[in-house]
Amino acid sequence: MPPVPSVPIRGVMVTGATTPIGERLIRSLLADARIERILAVGVEPEDRALPFAHGDRLVYKSVDLGRSRRVRNLLFGPAREMGIEVVIHTAMHRDANAKGGRVRSLNVEALRSLLDLSERHPTIKRFVFKSYGEVYQVQHDLPILVIEDHPLNMSGGAPQWVRNRVEADLTACARMGLSRLEIAVLRCGEVLAPGTGSQLFDYLDSPVCLRPIGFDPMMNMLSISDCVRAMELAARAFGVQGVFNVPGLDTLPLSAAIRRWGRVGIPLPGPVITPWYRIRRRLRGHDFSYGMNRKRFHYCSVLDGTRARDTLGYTPENAIDWPAPRDPAG
Amino acid sequence: MPMPPLLARAVVAAMLSDEDQEMLQRIRMKDAGHGYDAFGLHKDFVGMGMSIAKPLYDRYFRVASYGADKVPYSGPAVLASNHSGTVPVDGMMLWVDVIKQTGRIPRAIADHFVPTLPVIGTFFSRGGMVGGSRGNARALLEAGEILMIFPEGTAGVGKMFKDRYQLQTWRVGHAELAIRHRAPVIPVAFIGPEEQMPQVAAIKSLGKLVGLPYLPIPAAPFPLPVKYHIHYGDPVDLPALYGPEDADDPEAVSEAAGRVEVRVKELIEKGLKMRKGRLFT
Repeated sequence: MPPVPSVPIRGVMVTGATTPIGERLIRSLLADARIERILAVGVEPEDRALPFAHGDRLVYKSVDLGRSRRVRNLLFGPAREMGIEVVIHTAMHRDANAKGGRVRSLNVEALRSLLDLSERHPTIKRFVFKSYGEVYQVQHDLPILVIEDHPLNMSGGAPQWVRNRVEADLTACARMGLSRLEIAVLRCGEVLAPGTGSQLFDYLDSPVCLRPIGFDPMMNMLSISDCVRAMELAARAFGVQGVFNVPGLDTLPLSAAIRRWGRVGIPLPGPVITPWYRIRRRLRGHDFSYGMNRKRFHYCSVLDGTRARDTLGYTPENAIDWPAPRDPAG
Repeated sequence: MPMPPLLARAVVAAMLSDEDQEMLQRIRMKDAGHGYDAFGLHKDFVGMGMSIAKPLYDRYFRVASYGADKVPYSGPAVLASNHSGTVPVDGMMLWVDVIKQTGRIPRAIADHFVPTLPVIGTFFSRGGMVGGSRGNARALLEAGEILMIFPEGTAGVGKMFKDRYQLQTWRVGHAELAIRHRAPVIPVAFIGPEEQMPQVAAIKSLGKLVGLPYLPIPAAPFPLPVKYHIHYGDPVDLPALYGPEDADDPEAVSEAAGRVEVRVKELIEKGLKMRKGRLFT
C-alpha cells in the first residue's frame, strides 16, 4: 500500500470512533507521528471505548451527536482546546431497520450541527464526511459505472436508512464553497466487514443466499483498509473540496461474491425471496432487507473512482479477505 | 449468467475448435480482479456465446464478411449498422464476425429494456453488451473499446417486410459519441437479415404486457436460413471533420450522423447488387 503523504496536522477529530472503521482510522492516525492530537468521539462510555494502548495524543469523548447542545460543547470545548484542524465524520446509525426521529437526528442533524459549528470554529479548517455509495440510484437505464453526478436515490419509497444518507450527503454538498471550511464528501463503496452496517455482509452471513433468478449484477466492495486510507488522504488534501467516489478493489457479480464467501447461492423468483428475508429478520434478528437491495440485486452498479484517483491520489489497493479461493476458471 | 465460469469453460472446450479457443485466449480484456470487467464481461462466457453462435454463423446463416480489415485493431471505434430481422440475430452475427476477424470483443449497445430481461440480459452482458445509456458508452470509448450501435434501434428490428433495406429513423447518438470521444465510425451493412423473418404486423399493446416494445407478427415462425453478408465500409473519420465542441452542436451532430447514414445506404446498395437477388446462396 503506498504511503499516505504525511502532512503535519495539529489535531484531528473522528466521530464514530468506536465502529470498526473508526477504530481502524484512529489506529492509523496514531501511527502518524506528525498528527499531534486526536479527538475520538463515540457513544460508548469512556471506560469501554478503544480497547488498545494509546498515549496522551488521543482523547476519547463519549458524546451523543444527536443532541446539538452536546455537539456545541464538544466543538467549542475539547476540540478548540486541542486545536482540531480536521473533522472526519463517520458516525451514522448502522441498523438498516432503525426508524424515527432519534435515528434521523444522528444521521442528518448531527452532521448539520457539526458543519454549522465548524464553519465558525476558530481552528477547524477541513471537514471530511464519509458518505455512502448507496446514495446513488440503481436502475436498468442508468450507467453501470457510477460517476459523482449520477442520479441519487430520491425515491420517497426508499427506506429511512437510504433517505437519511441522501439527505446528509446533500447537506454536506450544499455547504461546499460557502465558507472558509473545506468540505470533502467521500461516497464509499460497501465495506464488507462486520459491524459496519453492511447489508451484504449480513446477507452473506447465511449459509444459503437467495438471489433473484436470471440476474447476476456486478458489484464493487471496499476493504476497511482502503476506506481508512481514502479518509486519511481526504483529510490531508488541504485546498481540495468536492464529492469523491471511493470504490474498492473487488468488482465481481453477486453469484461470485456468494461463492467467494463460501456460501451457496440459490436463484429464486423475487416474490419468494422477499418474505424469506422478512421472516429471517424477525426470527433471527438479522439486518438484511431484500426490499432495500432489490434493485442492486438486479442491475449493475459499480463506483467509478477516477476523480478520487486524480484529485486525492486514491486508488484501491487491498482486496477483501475472501474466505474461499478464487474460482480457477474465473 | 447464473452459472459459474467453470461450466462456461466446459461448454467452450466441448464445442469450440482448438483454433477458436486459442483465438479467445489471445483476446485482451480489462479484468477488474475476478475475471470480469466492470460491466460484467467474462472471457469464458464470450467463448460460450461463440459456441452457441458459431453453428448459426458457419452453417445456418453461412455468414460472408467483406472488408473487416477496416475495423481498427486497437483504440476506440464505433460500428454503425442497419438493423432488422424481427429477431435481431444480426447483432449476434456481427459480434461473432468482429471477434473472428479482429480478435476484439465488440460491445453491443442495447436498448434500455434488454438488461431487464432475466437470463438473457445477464448472458448478453457477459458477452460484452451494455445498456444504452450515455454514461456506459462514454466509459467504454474512454477505455478504448469498440462499440456496436444500431442507430435504427428497435424500429429497425420491427420494420415491415415491405420496408426492407430502407433505413428507419437514423438516430444521431453514435455520431455525437464519436465526435466527443474522438473515435472513427465504421459503417456496416447487413444483407440477408432483412428477409429472414418477414414481419407483417406489430402489436404494441400486447408487447407491453410482456415487457417488450411490441409483439411482432412474422410470416415465418423462426428466422429462415438466408445467407448473411456483412459489408464493412471505409471508416468515417468524424474526429477529423468535427472538433470535440461540435458534439454539443445539434446541427453538426445531425450532419455527422447523416454522413454515416449515407455510407450505410451506399453499402446496402452495393451489397444488394453483389447478391444479385439470391436469398439462400
